[in-house]
Amino acid sequence: MDTILKVDKITKVYRRGFRAVRVNAVSGVAFSLSPNHITGFVGPNGAGKTTTIKMIMGLVRPTSGNITLMGKPADNPASRSGVAYVSEQPYFYKHLTVGETVDFSARLVGVKSAAVGAERRRVLEAVELAGREKSKVRSLSKGLQQRLNMACGLLGDPRLLIFDEPMSGLDPPSRRLFRSLFKKLGDEGRTIFFSTHVLEDVEAVCRNVVVLDGGKLRFTGSVASLLEKGTLGTEIVVPAIPDKLADELRADGLEVSRSSGDDVLILIPAHRDLSICQRKLYEHEVFCQSIQKRTMPLENLLYGDDIGTGGNVNSAGSTDGGNIINTFGNVNKGDGIDAGNGNNGGSDGKGAAQ
Amino acid sequence: MRVIWLVAVNTFKETVRNKVLYNILLVAAVVLLLAMSFGDLSVMSRVQVMSDFGLATMSLTGLLLAVFIGVGVLGSEIADKTVYGVLCKPVDRIQFIVGKFSGLLVTLVLNFLLIALIFVVAITWMVGRAPESAIFSAVFLLMVEMSIIIAAAIMWSCFTTPTLAAIFTLSFYVAGHLNDMITLSADVQENPFTKTVLVILHYVLPNLEFFNIRTQVVFGLPVADGHVMTAAVYGALYTALLLLLSSVLFARKDL
Repeated sequence: MDTILKVDKITKVYRRGFRAVRVNAVSGVAFSLSPNHITGFVGPNGAGKTTTIKMIMGLVRPTSGNITLMGKPADNPASRSGVAYVSEQPYFYKHLTVGETVDFSARLVGVKSAAVGAERRRVLEAVELAGREKSKVRSLSKGLQQRLNMACGLLGDPRLLIFDEPMSGLDPPSRRLFRSLFKKLGDEGRTIFFSTHVLEDVEAVCRNVVVLDGGKLRFTGSVASLLEKGTLGTEIVVPAIPDKLADELRADGLEVSRSSGDDVLILIPAHRDLSICQRKLYEHEVFCQSIQKRTMPLENLLYGDDIGTGGNVNSAGSTDGGNIINTFGNVNKGDGIDAGNGNNGGSDGKGAAQ
Repeated sequence: MRVIWLVAVNTFKETVRNKVLYNILLVAAVVLLLAMSFGDLSVMSRVQVMSDFGLATMSLTGLLLAVFIGVGVLGSEIADKTVYGVLCKPVDRIQFIVGKFSGLLVTLVLNFLLIALIFVVAITWMVGRAPESAIFSAVFLLMVEMSIIIAAAIMWSCFTTPTLAAIFTLSFYVAGHLNDMITLSADVQENPFTKTVLVILHYVLPNLEFFNIRTQVVFGLPVADGHVMTAAVYGALYTALLLLLSSVLFARKDL
């Protein structure tokens, strides 16, 4: 199967209040996921991430558009075979124990009765809840309930795991556990699609990213290609240089500043030719101590200080400024993830105009 | 069937671990035992009073169970979003509805059997012999009636809040018992619009009095041949219709 999930121009309109005012939760979102990749689903609160995931899982019906999950329409229950969903909040039957909860979920996903016990032990060990089978679900803390939620998601050998802000409100040990689980699942060749607004998590575990804002698709592609968009330039650290050379470099539009001790840091903006600097340093017999690409953190790239207004990335020679949500005109394609339609999301060029 | 069974068992576990169930059962048992002493205050015999009270108590118990547990079991599941844990698996919403209904029905039947046991033991102790078989027919028809009420509670829960669903279910029960009066009102109506509305109501609402043979049981009157079977089939069909409607409504619901 080339495409494990295909979201085709989906729109969700809610009617709110007495006057049934139209609220566009999601507008024409399209993307698809190929197997065996970890994809982050990113956007600020209210971007439409949860609504999109609910539509994928068949909990909410799209107003228009189609979703194909595991080769079947998402409104067909069979499409959810081999798909696990872990919601932001753990929603469990309070009358059940931990063991009963896992057993119930296991049977629902089709685990054979004889194998339920072994499966229960496996998933509870994976989330470090072994030995708590007899505990009532309601007696668990939120963090432990979320671990149980994750355990239920691991049942039945799912090929696609969809997580909706699974690490929301978790303590650092639980976050570490979840991150290592994601990596392990990714290494096992499972497809993971997880929504978050903690971009550190995306940078840490994802290969691809889908960016949503205001219910519209803004970017799909690899995290690397997204970071490429936020390349500020090249950073060279050299030993102390004569003032004359520093002035020449500044005249060429480079930034020259003190680094640690006598070292000097030269930043060549992305739009400047690196060879000019290299030549000048060579002429003055100055040798580089280090050279590396400087990129904006994903957090700044996507959100900036003031999402929707742009213009926060003007430092260090960036020409246009603006965060990605405002700036990118094109929906990009990356490995294992395709923009379903070039007309979606940021392709309207509004961002660039800002 | 596997999914329906799993949902039904889970619903059964949920209801039997619900304290409301035991409170209702306790009240029913107390009323039944008190009814044993009411016979001395009535012109009817003690057995007649006991039979009348017993069947009325069972009817009321069934109604309370259907309203408080029936509405809660689906309504709170939607409100608390525990439904996500089931419907995100390869589970059809129709299977979920039928499973919920089945679990509730089993709870109700077991409770009826328990109350019926207290009831039969009390009568046997009072008169020194087992009660007439008509009492068992009356209990059976009460169960059929309650299956309609549970299906109605589930249907209302599909598209409104638990509080409103409870009010609608109670109204449905009352209107169902007044169905014959709706017919009579329609007959004497002169306004064609009101008459049409009443006629439609008569056909849409179930005739719950059809399941009530209490008078015949208490006074030892004969029950028409085939009445129990006809009522059972009618109740089963009406229940199936409500469940079908619930499934359609629930399938369209955004969760």
